[in-house]
Amino acid sequence: MTLPAFTMFALLLFCMGLYAVLARRNLIAILIGIELMLNAASVNFMAFNYFVAPDPAVGQIIVLFIIGLAAAEVAIALSIILAVYRQRRAIDIEQLTEVKG
Amino acid sequence: MSYETWALALLFAPLLGFFLALVVFRDRHNVAAAIVIAAGSVSAAASILLCVGGPQPTVSARWFHIGDITIAFGVLLDSRTLLMGAVVGVITLCIQIYSLGYMAHDPGKGRFFGFLALFEWAMLSFVYAPNLLQTFIFWELVGLASFLLIGFWYQKPSAVAAAKKAFIMTRIGDIGLFVGLILLFRATDTLDIESILTLYAGSSAGGAPTEIIAALLFMGIVGKSAQFPLHTWLPDAMEGPTPVSALLHSATMVAAGVFLFARFHELFMAAETTRMAALAIATFTAILASTMAVVARDMKRILAFSSISQLGFMLMGLAAGSLFAGYFHLTTHAFFKALLFLVAGAFIHRCGSNDIVAIGRQGAARTMKVTTFGLIVGGVALAGIPPLSGFFSKEQIIASLGQASPIIVAGAYAAAFLTAYYTFRMIFLVTRPDPESAAQPAGPADPDHAHGEPTWAMNGPILLLSLITLLISALSAGALVGAMSEDPIASILGQASHHASIAEMAPAIAIAILGAVLAFFEFGKKGAAQTGIVARMPGLERLLANRWYIDAIYRHTLVALATGIARVSHGVETRGFDGGADKVADATVASGRQVARRHSGRLQLYIGGAAILFALAVVFLGFRG
Amino acid sequence: MDEFPILSAILLCPVAAFVVTLVIPGRQSGLIKGVHGIFALLSVVLSMVVWARYDTGWRENGDVDRFQMMEDVPWVPDLGIHYILAVDGISVVLTLLNAIVFLTGVLSMWTLTLRVKEYFLFMAALVFGVFGVFLSLDIFMFFFFYEVAVLPMYPLIAVWGSTRKEYSAMKLTLFLLAGSALLFPGLISLYFESGGQTWNMLILAQEGTFTPKFQVFVYPFLYLGFGVLAGMFPFHGWSPTGHVAAPTAVSMLHAGVLMKLGAFGILRIAIDLLPSGAAYWAETFAILATIGIVYGAFVAMRQTDFKYVIGFSSVSHMGIVLLGLNVFAAVGAGDGGSDGLNGAVFQMFAHGIMTALFFSSVGFIYDQTHDRDIRHFGGLIGQVPVAASFFLVAGLCGMGVPGFASFWAELLVFVGAVKVFTPLGVIAIAGLVFTAAYMMRVFGKAMFGPKNPQWDGLDDVGPWSALPRVVLVGVLVLFGFLPSVIVDVIRSAGVVSHSGGM
Repeated sequence: MTLPAFTMFALLLFCMGLYAVLARRNLIAILIGIELMLNAASVNFMAFNYFVAPDPAVGQIIVLFIIGLAAAEVAIALSIILAVYRQRRAIDIEQLTEVKG
Repeated sequence: MSYETWALALLFAPLLGFFLALVVFRDRHNVAAAIVIAAGSVSAAASILLCVGGPQPTVSARWFHIGDITIAFGVLLDSRTLLMGAVVGVITLCIQIYSLGYMAHDPGKGRFFGFLALFEWAMLSFVYAPNLLQTFIFWELVGLASFLLIGFWYQKPSAVAAAKKAFIMTRIGDIGLFVGLILLFRATDTLDIESILTLYAGSSAGGAPTEIIAALLFMGIVGKSAQFPLHTWLPDAMEGPTPVSALLHSATMVAAGVFLFARFHELFMAAETTRMAALAIATFTAILASTMAVVARDMKRILAFSSISQLGFMLMGLAAGSLFAGYFHLTTHAFFKALLFLVAGAFIHRCGSNDIVAIGRQGAARTMKVTTFGLIVGGVALAGIPPLSGFFSKEQIIASLGQASPIIVAGAYAAAFLTAYYTFRMIFLVTRPDPESAAQPAGPADPDHAHGEPTWAMNGPILLLSLITLLISALSAGALVGAMSEDPIASILGQASHHASIAEMAPAIAIAILGAVLAFFEFGKKGAAQTGIVARMPGLERLLANRWYIDAIYRHTLVALATGIARVSHGVETRGFDGGADKVADATVASGRQVARRHSGRLQLYIGGAAILFALAVVFLGFRG
Repeated sequence: MDEFPILSAILLCPVAAFVVTLVIPGRQSGLIKGVHGIFALLSVVLSMVVWARYDTGWRENGDVDRFQMMEDVPWVPDLGIHYILAVDGISVVLTLLNAIVFLTGVLSMWTLTLRVKEYFLFMAALVFGVFGVFLSLDIFMFFFFYEVAVLPMYPLIAVWGSTRKEYSAMKLTLFLLAGSALLFPGLISLYFESGGQTWNMLILAQEGTFTPKFQVFVYPFLYLGFGVLAGMFPFHGWSPTGHVAAPTAVSMLHAGVLMKLGAFGILRIAIDLLPSGAAYWAETFAILATIGIVYGAFVAMRQTDFKYVIGFSSVSHMGIVLLGLNVFAAVGAGDGGSDGLNGAVFQMFAHGIMTALFFSSVGFIYDQTHDRDIRHFGGLIGQVPVAASFFLVAGLCGMGVPGFASFWAELLVFVGAVKVFTPLGVIAIAGLVFTAAYMMRVFGKAMFGPKNPQWDGLDDVGPWSALPRVVLVGVLVLFGFLPSVIVDVIRSAGVVSHSGGM
């Protein structure tokens, strides 16, 4: 396995996540897409860390950070989604256009 | 007591009186009046003593300094200030006593006396001023005091309008004076009047800067002394109580302008062109105002027009180069004009009407002996009939016009003729009323304003002023026939009077008598029509009665222009600056709304857009890099 | 610094009033007013002590500095920001002005009942900012205090005001912030151009700190930025609207001291630090100032609301201040320049007191009648003689009648202006006629003339409510008769770094 293989994998993962964020209408699905993108970033970090960096610890710390952040983010996002659902009885993003001018 | 003490008492007594009367005792009328009259007596006594004592070194105290310039407040005691100061002191005292009677029933008596004291203080401080700054300050305060006094009956809209007009018109002149004094200070680098006069004395050609300074100062004089074209405020100023008119027209306010010309006589002499222009303006004013007096029926207005005209005479004398002639007329005029106004006040007080025909019809002249005596003394003096004082001073002025253009001399004779004519018209209409004549009184007399026969407080000053007028006449006549070596006023001034022979005086005498005779045939003779020659020319009468439409012209040009500019400015403000700012604000809000409308509110579109932009940026930078 | 830090003590007066008010329950409005009255009085006393202790002879003796009673404490040393307080003759005068207006403002709001606590909190903040501006010598602190002074105006007008109050408050705030937006880059550029070491004005004012080219470029930013607050034509629009909407004491503070901050900033920062730039732009800005004098008077002539008349008269009178400053900027200490400077500072003081008197008189009448339309009044001098007399005194002062402080101020400015910009000086003097015209119009319509019977029952000013007004009249007359008291102090501030024209 070489570095380009890992980066190609990460890119694929990121694009899938982005597609989910852009195309899905369900908020939960969008959230999953965001998770995919975060994981893509983690994979990239680990790959570069393994092949390039002189001090492997740095990349690992950042990945741990990302995992922690992702956990927090999911918790907050899910609570927001729940709150939105309670109020609007829907989590379809097409209907959530409050910021429209 | 030393002269310094007198000089200080002279200035501070009225100030103290003003403060006590207006602030402390305003509601205790008689106390206020007593204080002011006491202060006025001190000033009058001090001014006479100083005048008798002759010139002294300047008394002054350092007031403060700004930079290297020290400003002093003081008393300049030279011949010019001494004489004028004495005139102001005596006349003001007479008028204050007179006001005791005239204003006895007025609810604002305390305030009135307070203002009188302020007026006296301002005028005396102006007259005795040793430096330019003091001159200017008190010049302004004289204006303020007359504003307060003209508008004394503040509930009367016409009085308020007149006060407003007086203040603003004189202010226009003051611009010139203000700039002129600043330039004068710049040119001479001193504020001290005596040093300035020394600088200009004897220099006949001062050049353009001197001309400009003199012209600017003259602008101030035109405003204050009510010369054409700023004369229109003075007739309206009659809206004030009569004692105020008497004060305003004789020794204060309007006299301040003439005094300023006399004060800076050396400077004006050095400015040839300005002097000639001043002479022309003064002559024109003298004629213009006397024509207005010819048709006026309001006794105070007749006197007001005659003041404007006589002020023109004084300035003619001064501008023609004779300090003595102008000054002499200023002095004699001050006394007989004050006298005439007090007389008019007594008639108005008694009859409740200003109309001379109405006053005559009420037979006031028969019962009011003292008043009628005053009217005749003052009137004859004003008309310039020998041997009363007005004749001598007017004759001096005409004599001083020797080198001037014949048009000016002719103008002076014309004005003198008209003066005699309208003065005797007034005297005859009041003293020889004819119920059969064509003249009709202007409506019934207003009994609310009739207060009965004048008291001693009013008759006393009338008598005193009559006597002073007669005394000056006697002294001048004495000088003329050689009983005295020199005219007393000329000797106070240290100027030579012009000794004319009877032959030289003949035209002046003839003109005055001619005017009086014409008035006699039209108004005085039994069975006369009592309407006058002008009444037979309705067009002319309308022109004169409307004061040559000068007021109307101003109203339609200058006033309209000022209000027009104000309206335009207001429009520019509300629609331009202010409205503009609002429009900017509105446009900001509107553009925000427009931009907001472009937003669908779909998050996915925003994120997609951001991703595409990001990708493009990466590609772009990648190719560059 | 062994001495008692008296300048900090002055600055702390409003702060103390603020803090004490915070802990007082809002119900006890009398106590709140009392606390403010006491601290305002204290600030007046302290300002007078500063005045007395200020040594005007520094130029002759040479052993004292122009800036005295200095307190210097590093605040953010990394950025060169110091807390520096000091006074020269100009700030001595203006500090006293602010203290007097603070005191009389508190006294004239004695009858306030709406949200008293909040009102006085904002007012204390405003006064604090103004004191800070007058006393600071550090540009950063200056700007900080400047903003502190400007912002409380918004709630003060929007909550306690009248006549389209939200609109006026918003307009005022936007205008002033726009001015600040010009100002801020200007001030920052001073800091960086000088090497980024210090904000200390004394050091920055040394000759050669800024190249002439830089000065010419930056000066308009500072002048216009401060000029907005000084009510300079053509950016004066906020000022009359704000005057009209503001409650009495806020109008007094607003016209009395807040507008002076702008003029003071122009003098202290723009002209002192950028003399060549000032000289370059002097004529242009002098023309604008002169237009402002005449224009303000003309617009005032058409107003029907008492407060609008006063508001536009402020535009006109502040034009005189700005004209004086530009005369000084043009020639420095040269012929006429110091006249302009002395006159401008004197006029700031005189106008502050006079306008405070105007607004407190109008406020007194408005509180009872809830009407400010000139046409609805008449013969007030007969109905409320004392209140109307106060208005008359203020009006006479505004017309520049001798015997009142502004006569001297205007005289000095005009003398300077005639010497330096002769045509402008003459036009400005001619403006006196228009000033007389609009004042006379108000006098004639509202103070004199036939009575309006509707207002026959008005209460006149009683002895207690007359107190603040008597103080103001006393100050006007005192300096009208003894101008040297104030001119000596102002003059001693004189001209320091000014190198003359370009």
